[in-house]
Amino acid sequence: MAAPAPDRRIADLAAAFVELRTALGRVLVGQDEAATGLTLAVLAEQHAYLEGPPGCGKSELAAALAALSGARTHTLVFHRDIRETDLLGDVLLSRHRHRGHERLRRELIPGPLLHAEIALLEDLPRSPGEALGPLLRILAERHALGQPLPLESAVATGPLEQVEAPIDPLEPGQLDRFAIQLRLSGLLTGGLFDEAAVLLEREAARAPSRAAAPRSAVMSTATRHAAQRAAAALQVESRTIDAYHRLLDRLRRRSADESASGDRLMSDRSFSSAALRLVRAHAFLRGAPAAAPRDLGAIRYMVAHRLPEDVQEDFDHILEELLGDPPNVTMTETGAQMPGAQSQGDDSDGAAASSTASDSWIDDQADVPAPPTLFGKPPPPAQVDPLLRALVGRIERGRIDPDTDPGGQPRGYRPLRDLDELIDADLIEALLFAEGRLPGAPRTFERKRKSAGGAVAVLRDISASMAGRLTVWSSQVVLGILRVAARRRMRVGYVEFHHRALPHQVGGRLLHRSYSRLAEQAGQAKAVGQTNYEAPLRTALEGLRGGSGRNRHVVLLTDGLPIIGDTTVRRERQLARRLGVALHTVFLGNGDCPPVLDDISLETGGLRFYGRPLAGGGLRLEER
Amino acid sequence: MSDLTPLRDLLDHHVVGHDEVKTALLLALITREHIYVEGPPGTAKTRLAEVAAKGSELDFFFYQLHRDTRLAELVGDIVLERRKVKTDGAAPGTTGEAERIHQRIEPGGLLTAEVAVLDDISRAPGEALNVLLRILNERRFGAEPIPLMAAIATGNPMDDEYYNEPLDPANLDRFALQLRVSGLIQSGLDDAKTLIDRFASGSVVEQPDPEPVTDRATLDALNRRMVEVEVGAAVRAALLDVLRTLVLEFECNETNSLLTDRTFLVKAIKILRGAALLAGRDAVDLQDLNALSWMTTFRVPPEAHEALPRIIGRVSRQVRAV
Repeated sequence: MAAPAPDRRIADLAAAFVELRTALGRVLVGQDEAATGLTLAVLAEQHAYLEGPPGCGKSELAAALAALSGARTHTLVFHRDIRETDLLGDVLLSRHRHRGHERLRRELIPGPLLHAEIALLEDLPRSPGEALGPLLRILAERHALGQPLPLESAVATGPLEQVEAPIDPLEPGQLDRFAIQLRLSGLLTGGLFDEAAVLLEREAARAPSRAAAPRSAVMSTATRHAAQRAAAALQVESRTIDAYHRLLDRLRRRSADESASGDRLMSDRSFSSAALRLVRAHAFLRGAPAAAPRDLGAIRYMVAHRLPEDVQEDFDHILEELLGDPPNVTMTETGAQMPGAQSQGDDSDGAAASSTASDSWIDDQADVPAPPTLFGKPPPPAQVDPLLRALVGRIERGRIDPDTDPGGQPRGYRPLRDLDELIDADLIEALLFAEGRLPGAPRTFERKRKSAGGAVAVLRDISASMAGRLTVWSSQVVLGILRVAARRRMRVGYVEFHHRALPHQVGGRLLHRSYSRLAEQAGQAKAVGQTNYEAPLRTALEGLRGGSGRNRHVVLLTDGLPIIGDTTVRRERQLARRLGVALHTVFLGNGDCPPVLDDISLETGGLRFYGRPLAGGGLRLEER
Repeated sequence: MSDLTPLRDLLDHHVVGHDEVKTALLLALITREHIYVEGPPGTAKTRLAEVAAKGSELDFFFYQLHRDTRLAELVGDIVLERRKVKTDGAAPGTTGEAERIHQRIEPGGLLTAEVAVLDDISRAPGEALNVLLRILNERRFGAEPIPLMAAIATGNPMDDEYYNEPLDPANLDRFALQLRVSGLIQSGLDDAKTLIDRFASGSVVEQPDPEPVTDRATLDALNRRMVEVEVGAAVRAALLDVLRTLVLEFECNETNSLLTDRTFLVKAIKILRGAALLAGRDAVDLQDLNALSWMTTFRVPPEAHEALPRIIGRVSRQVRAV
């Protein structure tokens, strides 16, 4: 290009960040992408969220970033009992005597977090909403207690969403505060055995009791700041902006097509200013004089929670295709027509029009172009979100308000009732109380925890007609329900059925909390036999009969008419009504839904869902 | 024979059976790793931990967790510090004074102990444990390193009947060594007989406090010697093969297992070195790989854990053949 060569100083600044990237890459074996993402975070002054399974090195990487970049750092470990003062700083209580009466005023003195240039927020999702709200606002505004903060980047870590993790994950809207979103995988569970061998060799050579060697900074604060300023001021070539528009367009359309949550996570906040800062930083790191279209690769570090997983995996491919296939005309900003540029994207254009069900969508795979993968051709995933959301709604409705529990999360305040509770009391009020100067008792946390009651039994049709992709989709539905139940610590039961009911008991019980064992089981179902509704419903209701409480659900997953047993399941419907169990039905089959499913759902206050085939071979669960 | 034989003898003197737990306890003290022992009530879990701590003259902290456990009970007293500061900006005509109030923890309990026994850890609310377990993991509290060598946690089986919530997998991962014990009466006839005979003869009616038979200096020396224990290429290859088998054949993944890099690539090397030292060797041998089954107890599905000795045997034969 005609751009001037970067001057020497700029090159030095870029070199400092390249060194940071290199040093960071050495911290962990095989996590280069995260090292690059975090380097970009500092350079572009963006917040980053790092998630991964336990023990994959998230914390070590974040700590190394802080040390190597030479920034003033504060680490905050989030936990259930984290308080406002941990976030903001000490309390200052001032007393003013004025004409015989005393006036008390409380203020906050900015604490170490507010002085940090890089803030490390460990285990962020473990924090209750009370502390999280103010924190996220601080991160967004970079302003607290009436003064601007020196904060450049906050790096938060969190666990992977796991079936048995007892914490609620952050909401996508909360995660959106973190422009950079990185997902680490373990070397072992990710199958990276060569890298694992390198790590083993490194550990075998290293003294086990090594004192955690302090890492020294690779750059000064002045260098860091100068580089940040220079990167932010970098020009973005017009063809880059053009390509970015087209990239966003493709991502948006692919996302809307792939997932129920669609493109709603592509917020303006992230995809305008933050994204362009990252693109500039990417170019700066390359030593380029201006951001070229290839620097759009930086967007890859933003997508972990913003795009459906399929689109994420395809991201490099989508970008490559777009860059390798540039439009002929780049001058016209409003020129909507870009001949030949979107041959691959065309089929998503008519998503609405082409969603008519083909009669042969179950058996005939040849018609459906499956996405190429390394492991054969699995069918496109079923979109189970709508069912899960509706089910969550029913479950939440069935749960009573959270119970007061001393081990629960702080949710609001109440007056102190017992001196033991002083530890949970408001600091200042406890102090004044001790001095005998507080009229009444100090406020203390009211701790509550959601009742972990309730049960869900999943009845899954495994009759012969459920073969092929229906088996895969059913498994996805079952896993989704298990995840919903696990997060609420509800008991689960799992019954596969054909002409007979095959309950999967654990410890002799239908209902239990061994979620991962069931999850494994659900992945191994094989389709045989004919359909019988009576036997599985009977089994599930017998299992639920013993328990108490209102929050009891059965989800019946089937693709066909019952042939064996009482096909009207009259007695089971009656029993469910008497027990107050909601029977939800999900029909995955081809053709009309058996009317008996309507009766089952309507009579017991259950949901009625069916699987709508999608263009491209997918399936979306929708309410009937 | 190793430097810890006297301690092992002491454990044998005080507690009948439970061979594996005893070995694993010593391994925990050498490698400075934490250990989790799960078993029904009354299986000498706490007693073993106590004898090991007292027998090696270590500062001992015992805490019984409960569902209302709060951090302060484990780490010391919460202190409110008040400091007078000058105020500025007070309204005219007023005389002002202000206090800066800071909450901190005066270290005690876990923060000053060398060996900590955390009894019934599964009874504490999962979230309350998070900070505790992080202290265990990092061995420092704030910026201060703590003298803790090993935490020994015990728990009851995670069945519904004990009204426990299962430990968060990430929390359980902080305990490098994990064992499941059962009562002698259920498992070994001979040990049960010995136990009953001892009680019948009256020799255990008065349990005296164990005499110290070793000390921190010995343990420190052993810990320093770990560096010199060689982990050869054959052992590393075998370890990786075992792990590969767990992932590829037994389909251990992020959902059903805790096959974390920290544990099986970093800590496993330490455990192997410790096992070699405990056996009085200065190089890790293929047979030391058997210590891996003290790491997999709650980290992989039961069938994979049970198959581990077989896998190790197969892999060892293959490696030897090469």
